[in-house]
Formats: sequence, C-alpha cells, structure tokens
Amino acid sequence: MKPFDFIQPATIDAAILALAEYSPNVRILNGGTDCLVELKHVAQSPGVVIDVSRLQGLKGIEIVDAGLRIGAGVTHTEIMADPLIKEHVPAMIDAAHTVGAVQTRNLGTLGGNLVTCVPSMDSGPTLLALDADVTILGAKGTRQSSLTDFFVAPRKTSLEPDELLLEIIIPKENLGKPASFIKFGLRKGQALALVNAASALWVEGNKFKDVRIALGAVAPVVIRASKAEALLEGQSVSEGLIQEAAKIAVGEAKPIDDFRASKEYRNDLIEVGTRRTLQAALGASNIQS
Amino acid sequence: MTDVTLIVNGETKTASVPPETTLLKMLREDLNYTGSKLGCDVGDCGACTVLVDGLAVNACLMLAGQAEGKEILTIEGLSTLEKYHPIQKAFEDVAALQCGFCGPGMIMTTKALIDQDEDVTRQNIKDALSGNLCRCTGYTKIIEGVIDAYQEITGKKLPEIKPRAA
Repeated sequence: MKPFDFIQPATIDAAILALAEYSPNVRILNGGTDCLVELKHVAQSPGVVIDVSRLQGLKGIEIVDAGLRIGAGVTHTEIMADPLIKEHVPAMIDAAHTVGAVQTRNLGTLGGNLVTCVPSMDSGPTLLALDADVTILGAKGTRQSSLTDFFVAPRKTSLEPDELLLEIIIPKENLGKPASFIKFGLRKGQALALVNAASALWVEGNKFKDVRIALGAVAPVVIRASKAEALLEGQSVSEGLIQEAAKIAVGEAKPIDDFRASKEYRNDLIEVGTRRTLQAALGASNIQS
Repeated sequence: MTDVTLIVNGETKTASVPPETTLLKMLREDLNYTGSKLGCDVGDCGACTVLVDGLAVNACLMLAGQAEGKEILTIEGLSTLEKYHPIQKAFEDVAALQCGFCGPGMIMTTKALIDQDEDVTRQNIKDALSGNLCRCTGYTKIIEGVIDAYQEITGKKLPEIKPRAA
C-alpha cells in the first residue's frame, strides 16, 4: 500500500471534522474488505485514511420511530445473528449470508457494502425491495435519502466527499413485510453474484399489494423492476401472473455479457430469480396469515 | 509510524509500524509470528486467517492500527512443542494437509467454528471453510479432519446424512 496518514477519531463528530478538513484526499475505512483491497492497488496515496470501525455511533440495530435502524458499521455477521432482524426483516439474513465468506462477513459492514456500490452488491436488493432509507451526516448536518437515490452509478453514490453514511432505516410500515432474497453465483461459496434479486409484497383480500421487485448485477446499479411490479399490483394472487411478471422483469434489466456468464444466461436468471423470490414472499405471507 | 499494541496468544506485544501495515505484516515481520501465511493478499484465500476477539478474519484485510488492543489468536497459540491442539491432531491423523500452506488458516477457521458452541452439520463446515482455499487436497480430507476435531472437542456427533429416497 502507498503510505497514508491514519486517523482514528473517537466520535462521529470528530470523524466529520476530519472529513471536512482533509476531503477530497481522504478515505473512510471501516471493515476494510473492499477498501483495503482497493488501497493495495492504487498508484497514488489516498492522503488520509479515517478509521471509523470503532465508532459506537455507527453500531447497533434497534427499533426507532421511523422503523428499524441499522448502523452503517454493523457487520454482516452481526446482521445474521440479530433477533430484531430475524423478527422483522429475515430476508436480510439470507442476503448477509451470501456476502463473501465468514472472514469477510466478520469484518465487512452493511454500510460499506452500500457505499462501495458495485452493481452485484448482495445487500442492495432486499433493502431496495423494503424501501430502505439512509441517513447521511456531513459538516452541514444530516440529510435523509431513499436508497434508490443513494445509488448513482457503479462505485458512485450520492455521498459528497465530506459526508459519512450513518445508518440504514427500514420504514416502520415494512417491518414484517413478506420478502425473499436469492443469489446466483458460479459456485455456492464466496462468489460474486451473476444475478441477485429480492421481492417483497403484502397480500390483502387475496390481492397483491405494495409489490416490490429489486434486481442486482443486471444494470449499472441495483434497480427496481417497476413494470413487473405494476403488473401484479392490485391483482388477484395467481401463479400465472407471477410467471408473467418474471418475464417482464427481464426486459427491465440490461445485464452484461462477460467471461463469467453470457447476457442470455443472466436474462434466464433474472426470470428465475424474480419468479422464485415472488413465490417465496407469497409463501411467507401465507405462513403469516 | 504508529505504535500498535496487540495481545497475541495471551502475550502483550507492541511494535511501531507505518500506518499502512496490515495486521498480517505486523504479525509476521514485526512480531515474528510467521505461522499465518501471505497468500493472495486480497481476502480470497484465507491463508492469513487469525482470530480477532474470537472472530475469524483475514489478517491481510485489517490494518494493524485497527487491531490495537485486541486479542489475536494465531496458529502459534494452539500448539506447544509437546502437544498438538485437537484440531491439529485430527488434521494430522486424517492427512488433511499436503503442502500445508493453507493449514494455519484452515485450522484457525475451524477453531472459530467449533468455538461457536453450536451444533454443526457437514454443510455448516463447508460454508465455514468456503473462504479457505486449498490447492492440493480437494477438501475431502480437510472436512474429515474438521468433523473429527469437532466430535473430539465437543463430544457431539455430526448428524448422519440421510440417504436419498430411491
């Protein structure tokens, strides 16, 4: 790694002051599972590295007025073991489990996964399907953003150089919403997603309500399949309609063709992933009722 | 330079290292714990796996400064010259390792798995070891070694695999 200055602020406020002082020549370091890999390969020193991995203010999973708050510094392993996550958003456990291997999950954080903003991130689809919001802190104060607006482009979020991702909020009305996540890779362990997908829906009076379908690794950022959602919205629950929605979802994605998988194969995976997550969310809804 | 103090295998150790030093580099080059191996250096192979406060992590993906004050357990903390740790004994008995380069990482990941004190299945073992690559053995013997060590240490039996229905 190229030499850099290393700061370990004791509080979030101190981290924000350091960010303001040194940006844009500054990197935030938390779990390091992406950041350090990158810093080992860059030609120029990042300048200053601010280690936020010890900040208690970025930790914690708790119910707040707005919903379920997950600190940006919570690790994937912590998500997998958390009783509130299990009770309110169990699909997040399936998503967290597919991130890297146990060594990665013990260090890597939910916030880091979102900020890195690679299209194949495994935390994105479930959170997008649950209409998650993020809280961002900068020198000018805090601001809220939808996760949809937070994702801008591959490896680019709406974070300004002097801002820090504080927390992820699952809105109160979506706690307990039946949801499901699936990931397809080239192998089971430690694989990048070829396609990943999540669906969430309510069933009211045997009709689909508030259907959300999110797809990862199929576009520059994680996307919603809004036409497929619209096909189901308000309609009577039927297997045929789910299959039709899955076909429509394929048309909303633009997967790449590369050495890991062809575009055609990824398109097939989008259809299968959409269908299976819708079926699983529906199944979870049946169990609830 | 940053002064970093770690508790390695129960002993307090301090070194002054440049901030960009990884935990792995500090362990190997400043503190002379060379059991943990430098493999891929990007978190894919698991050869550098150590336990930090009981959790398996890739020491190549943690800065030494991030580990300040933490308890580190390396492969050197398991055995003495006189006596192997049961995991090491099990690995030797089944000939789990060939060249041995992946061994320290495999064994530390196994230690973390068994220390969780939860019932373990063959699938749990494969899942736990998915971040540790071996290029010699094909994993079968390694998994056998983990099973033997788990049964020896916990006194539990791995659930039998039910034959598939005809």
